[in-house]
This record gives sequence, C-alpha cells and structure tokens, in this order.
Amino acid sequence: MNIPLRRAAYAMLTAFVVLIASVTYIQAVKGPELRDDPRNQRVVAWRTGRQRGPILAADGTTLARSTPSAADAKLYRREYPEGDLYAHTVGYTSVLFGSRGIENTRSEDLVSNRDSTISGVLNGLLGGDTNPRGVRLTLDHTLQTIAAAALGDQKGSVVALDPTTGAILTMVTYPRFDPNSLVGSDASAAGAALEADADEPWRDRSIDETYPPGSIFKVITAASGLDQGLVSPSTEFDDPVALELPGSDSTIQNFDGETCQNGTTVTLEFAFVKSCNTVFAQLGMDIGGDQLGFSSQAFGYNQTVPFEFNVLSSVFPPPGTIEDNPPATAQNAIGQRDNRATPLLMAMTAGAVANNGTHMLPYLVSEIFTSDGIVEMETDPSIWRRAMSPASASVLSDLMEQVVISGTGRRAAVPGVRIAGKTGTAQVTGKAPHAWFIGFGPVEASDDTPQIAIAVVVESGGDFGESATGGSVAAPIAQEILAAFFGA
Amino acid sequence: MTRRAEAGLIVAAALLVSIGVAIVEFTHGDWLDAQVALTFLAFAGSFGGLHLATSRWAPGASSLVLPIASFLTAVGFIEIYRLDSHLASLQRWSLLIASATAALILWLIRDRGVAVLRKFRYVLLAVGIGMLLLPLLPDSWPIHGATVNGSRLWLRIDIPGTLRVLSFQPGEIAKVLITIFLASYLAERAEAMSVVRRKIGPFKLPEPRHLGPVIVAAGAAFVVLIYQRDLGASLLLFGIFIGMLYVATGRSFYVISGGILAVLAGFIAYSTFDHVQRRVEAWLDPFAHYQDAGYQTVQGLFAMGSGALTGSGIGLGRPDLIPAAATDFIFAAVAEEMGLAGSLAVLAGFALLVATGFGIAIRSRDRFRKYLAGGLTIVLGLQALIILGGVLRLLPITGLTLPFMSYGGSSLLANLAILALLLRVSHEERL
Repeated sequence: MNIPLRRAAYAMLTAFVVLIASVTYIQAVKGPELRDDPRNQRVVAWRTGRQRGPILAADGTTLARSTPSAADAKLYRREYPEGDLYAHTVGYTSVLFGSRGIENTRSEDLVSNRDSTISGVLNGLLGGDTNPRGVRLTLDHTLQTIAAAALGDQKGSVVALDPTTGAILTMVTYPRFDPNSLVGSDASAAGAALEADADEPWRDRSIDETYPPGSIFKVITAASGLDQGLVSPSTEFDDPVALELPGSDSTIQNFDGETCQNGTTVTLEFAFVKSCNTVFAQLGMDIGGDQLGFSSQAFGYNQTVPFEFNVLSSVFPPPGTIEDNPPATAQNAIGQRDNRATPLLMAMTAGAVANNGTHMLPYLVSEIFTSDGIVEMETDPSIWRRAMSPASASVLSDLMEQVVISGTGRRAAVPGVRIAGKTGTAQVTGKAPHAWFIGFGPVEASDDTPQIAIAVVVESGGDFGESATGGSVAAPIAQEILAAFFGA
Repeated sequence: MTRRAEAGLIVAAALLVSIGVAIVEFTHGDWLDAQVALTFLAFAGSFGGLHLATSRWAPGASSLVLPIASFLTAVGFIEIYRLDSHLASLQRWSLLIASATAALILWLIRDRGVAVLRKFRYVLLAVGIGMLLLPLLPDSWPIHGATVNGSRLWLRIDIPGTLRVLSFQPGEIAKVLITIFLASYLAERAEAMSVVRRKIGPFKLPEPRHLGPVIVAAGAAFVVLIYQRDLGASLLLFGIFIGMLYVATGRSFYVISGGILAVLAGFIAYSTFDHVQRRVEAWLDPFAHYQDAGYQTVQGLFAMGSGALTGSGIGLGRPDLIPAAATDFIFAAVAEEMGLAGSLAVLAGFALLVATGFGIAIRSRDRFRKYLAGGLTIVLGLQALIILGGVLRLLPITGLTLPFMSYGGSSLLANLAILALLLRVSHEERL
C-alpha cells in the first residue's frame, strides 16, 4: 500500500532536484550573460548608477567623479567638472550612448568589484579591496587649459608629450562637446544634436583624423637623407625658381614662388630653415620612393600606434608604389599628395628627434590607485621603435633650432629656452591651407631637465583663412604652451 | 523534534520576516517603523496561534510542518513587502484570517478526527465543483466572475452601498475539497480498481468501468481549461486526479494513460487556442518573443541571472520589473534579491515539506488517511512544481500561485487549511 506513495514521493523529490539544477544553472552559470543582456534594464541602472572611481589629471585636478544621487541614495551621478576640456580623453559613461575614452578603456578598474559573481564573492571573502579604483592621467591641467585657450574656436588639435617617456601632457581638440550633457536628463537631445553637428565635435582630431602634413614632413625626408648618408647640412642643391618633375609637365615651387636663396645653389641647412620645397622635392627624388616609404614606416607611418585609444594610421605610399613615379615621390617628400598624418604621430616625430631618434610608446594613464590612495599600477615608459640614428637626430635637432631662431618658426621662440621646431603649411585643394607646427625643447637637454615635444594643427588656416601659414597660426599656439611649460 | 523546538523555529521565522522588512525600510531610506512590529506580531500571532492549536488539538503531529511553512511564508512576505507595502498589509490580514481558519478546522475535528470528513464527501464534492464553476457567473450579478489576465478564475462580491469588492479565487479552495472527496472515494474503491483482469503487453488493464474516474478527471480539467482559459489550474486538477489514482491503485496504467490524454488535450488546445499557442512558442524561445508572450519569462530570467550567487540584497534589486512579481513570479523576485542562496533555501524548504507530507501519508494506518495526506501533499508539491517549472522555463508559464509565498488570500487560506489537515492526520497516525 505504501509503494505507490513512496514512488510518488521519489518522483516529486526528483522533480525538485531538477528545479535545483535548473536554478543553479540560471543563476550561477548563465547569470553574467543574463545580467549583461542589453534588454535587461538592471544593466543600465547598475552600470551607470554605480559608484565609479575618480579620474584625475597629473596634478590631481578632478576630471571625473561620482556623487551620490539626490533622488536615490544607492545610485550615483557621474560628473565631469572640467566640462568639455577633457571630453575626448576622459570620455563619458552614459545610459544612452555607452561609454568612451578612459571611462570606457579603464572601466574594469573604475567600477566596484563588489558584485555577486563567483569571482566577486571570492574576492570579497578573501578580503580583497572591492572599492572602485581611481585613474591618474599624464595630462597636465595647466597646459591643457592653455592649449584649449590658445587654439580657441579654430578647428584643429594640440598634442604635447614628454619625449623621453611618451607621457601625453596635452591632448586638445576643437570642436568639443560637454560629456555632462550626455549623462544628464537631456542626454537624448544633446546626443542627437552632437550626432547632427557637421563639424563632428565627437571626433578626436588628435588621433581620429589625418591631415596632409606639408612641410613638417621635411623633418622625415631630411632624416631619411641623413640616415642614408646622402646629405649633410652643408650639402649644396640647385636653386631653381621651379623644380621640373621628370616625366611630367608639373613643377614644384617654393611657398613665395621665388628661388630659395639667390638662384645658384643652396645648402640643405638654409633650405630647411626657410622650408624650400624645391630642395626637399629634389632630395626626395634622390632618396627614392621606396626608401622614403621605409623611412616613413620607421617614423610610424602605415603602422598602428599602440595607445590607450585607436589611432588612425598615418599614410605614406608604401614601398613598391611610387619608386618609378618621381613626381609622386617629390610631392610626397614635401608632405603633399597622398601623405596624411595624425597630430599624435607628428608630436611623436618631434619627440623622436628630441629623444635621440627613438619613439617612446605614448601613454595617457600614469597610475591606477586604490580608494586608500595606494598606487596599484604604474605605467613604465617603453620604447616603441627607432625612427632614425642618434647622429641624424642630433643634426636635425640643430636644424630645427635654427628654424625657431631665424626661420619660419620664429614665433614659437621662448626667451631663455632652446626651442627647436618646424612649420608646415599644407595645401588643400579648394580650401585654405592647414597650418602646422611641430617642435620640442630644450635642445640638448640634460637627463633631468623636463622636456616637451608638441604638434599643433589648425584646420583650413583657422582665423587667418587663406593667408594662414604654419609660422603665423600654429607656431604662436605652440609658443604659449612651451612658454607655460618652461615657466617663462 | 519537540513542540518546544517548533515554537522556537516559528519565533525565528517571525524574527526573520521582521528583519527582512526592516532591511527593506533601510534600503528605501526609512528608519524602523510600525511595519516591522506589525509584521512580527502578525507572524508570531498566526503561526504561534497555529502552534498552540496544534499543541492542544493535534499534540502528536509532526513538528516539522509549521516551521517550514512559516519560513516559506516569511521569505515570500519580505519580497511582497519590498514590492508593494500596501499588498503586504493586506497579506498580513490574510495570514491572520487563514491561520484562524486552520485553527478552526483543527478545533472542528478535534474529537472525531479527519474520518468525519468521509461522511460529507459528496457535499464536499458538490461544493468543490460549484466553486470551480463560480467564476463563470455573469458579470452583471452582485456576485460574479471576473477575468484577470485572460483567465476567469476570480469571484467578486460587490459589497452593497459601497464601491468595494471582495475578490476570491474559489478554485484554490475547490482543489482541497476535491482532494478530500477523492481520498474518501478511493479509500472505498481502491481494491476493486486495482484488480487486474486483462493485460495488453506489459500494461495491466483495470475493469473498463474503473476507467471512469480517469475520464472524469480529464473531462473536468479540460472544461476548466476551455471555460476559464487557465492552463495552470487545469493541469493541477488533472495532476491531482491522476496522482491520487496512482497512489490508490499502484497502477502505472493510470499515469501513462493520463499522460497520453494530457498530451492529446495539450495538442488540441495548442491547435485550437491562440493564447495557448503563443504561450508554447514563448516557452520554446522566450527571447524571440521578448516583446509579447515571452516578456514575463525573460524578465524573470533577467532577475534570477542578475541575482547570481548572493543576490542584489533585499531592496536593492529590480524585481519590480517582472510582471506579476508578487504573485506568480515571487520566486524570481526572491532569487534576484537573495541570490542562489535564497532560491536553494526555498526549494529545499518545499522539498522538505513534500517529503514530510509523504512521510505522514506513509506512516498512516488506514487508507483514507494515507490517501488524504498523500493527496494534500501532491496538491502542495504539484502546484509548486508547475509554477516553479514555468518560472525556470522547464514548463510553459501558467498562472498559479506559489504556495505560502505568493501574494493572495485564497491561496494562503487553502494552503494553511491543507496544513491543518496534514497536522491532524499526522497526529492520528499514533492513534
């Protein structure tokens, strides 16, 4: 009489075991996947409402912080006290638009580890610190502020870095946006307006845009010639009004349409300081398209720059494409035609000259620290690649110093500091030219002297329009930052 | 275990629920208030009262039953309170009324025991079937049925002169009455029904006339399915019939033929009713039907998945995102805020209660008490399995309350009545 009862009991208890297995599978195994499903509204509240660690500038200025929400004690509001100044680097984390910048790349550290996944629980049980970490950036708040003011409302970018370490000191782009508007109550409208803005304020022109570099590329052409042993500063070149390009009807002229010096011959040094196109186009053809391609690659062209964020590749015709095309070689050698570069890579190029020909890996995060302020991770500077020989770097350094002393870059000079530089005025069909300046200081610095390398680009001449040159528009902006850096 | 231990565990459950309510208050930014004290008093009063009634009128009863039930009720109540404090205060009254009713049952049968129920079995059957049909009363009558979420399970009584109504799910009571009838009916007929006359292959066929109850069971369940459009209630009713037939006869023929009939009926329902079809499709792939029929299931899965091992903490999750979180999906709410730890505790509680119930049945000496305790345990266990299986996506989702835990007065009343009967049978096993 009891056998059926027992069997019914076993059947039912077996069913409960199946339920136990099922709920364990759902909660312990599938849990993270279900939690992170974009349709799960908890994710939004959890991700955006949780406390996040602070993001600080190098001097401790707060760039992002979480404050308790007034409406709900367990939710936090993310604030960006510096508004649009760090919009592209610090980024944002938003309900509607996801996250970008450091808020995106360092999210793992910035959020609390206090959750109920297996690893979270174990970490908590083993006494691990579950508070969110803070991130300290290499960005210098003073320089960043001055750079933004100097650039003003001209479209373009300013990138400055420490050439000996690769630490980014300044990264400013214009136009910008206010990340606070993307986390606030009007985020939807603000995001739509941002998306619709034809000036593309969401684009970080420092890394997410390439420009023809114009004459600043002469630094790389010169480095290539020096490295090959083809030239020295005293090498003499012909000085025509217009350089005829073999195999075509086109010519290359200097900026003012005149000869470089006196129409007979001219030294490489003189041509570099005055930025003569005729001489560098000839040098480029002497070096050859393939070799110029290899040299560009050594400087980081056609390469992915390993960085906190994706950096657009700078473009030079790769070896095997323009070797037999002297006009193309000549035009690319003076930074025109197919030649495109990011402001970051150009700042790194100035940095490589300052740093004996070696590219350091650029970095933006200097350290990760715990809620108690204990540094948990510190970025060690590391070498990325050798751009040129130390000897060539030393020669170029002198040439670039002359540009600032007596050439096109005079307006970047800082009293009492040996500044080196190169200007560029990149011609763009149908538009005003882009004004460039790259430079560094101090020249021949001793190891313990603070050093800085910089790139400035102002799109389409900025406030000067058609009459803009690198020397008149970009060099003064660089000067303000250099002067501030050296306390002059 | 002793009665004294039972009392201690009931106090522990009352403390547990009070602490839970206090945590909800804290997480909502409030301080301790009267709700904590009222909840403690309601739990101590109702389950403590049942403990006293048991000590007096069924002193030999198992002392496991009440502590498990009070624990399950406490866990469910914390989530109900967290979801809607107004519902929770109604639930407190329901708890008091339901435990008073359970105590009343213990008092009524204090002298003659459960055996007295056998005398009234046809009355109980008639009342039970009547209650099943009550929700079909037309809307215009003062006492009328009501359709909620597509199922006509509710009875509403308009209180004259006011706009207030009393709502009740008579089906919850009906299942208890029908179980008592079946236990009594089968206790008389079981021997005849288990006699084997013919065999077809491995199956031993009973007398054709004894197939009657199976067909009645399938018919009744199907009628409920069609008229009240409720899959859960009909499945439960059908399961009770088949389960009790098996317990009484030991013939797996009933389970197999019942299973075939159920599949057949399910197939007919699937091809006939749109709402059944939608539910089955949403069961097979709820994420593909996220916008409509699968929404509730997916929200339940999100809640449970987000809860992970230790849960969000009471008051810190978002169980309010799940439709019907306080009733059908109370388990998902518990799983989200109390984590796998909480859900395993709840499942263990139900398994323990079911095991205790079957233990009472097995130890009972006469057929009626065996079938009654077994049947009531099947009612409790099957109802929990059907709704939990739905929440955990092992079965299509059906509208049933989770015994003791879901919000709902009728459900609480029926389940505490079941406990009273189980306690009495347990007491009588020693007579």
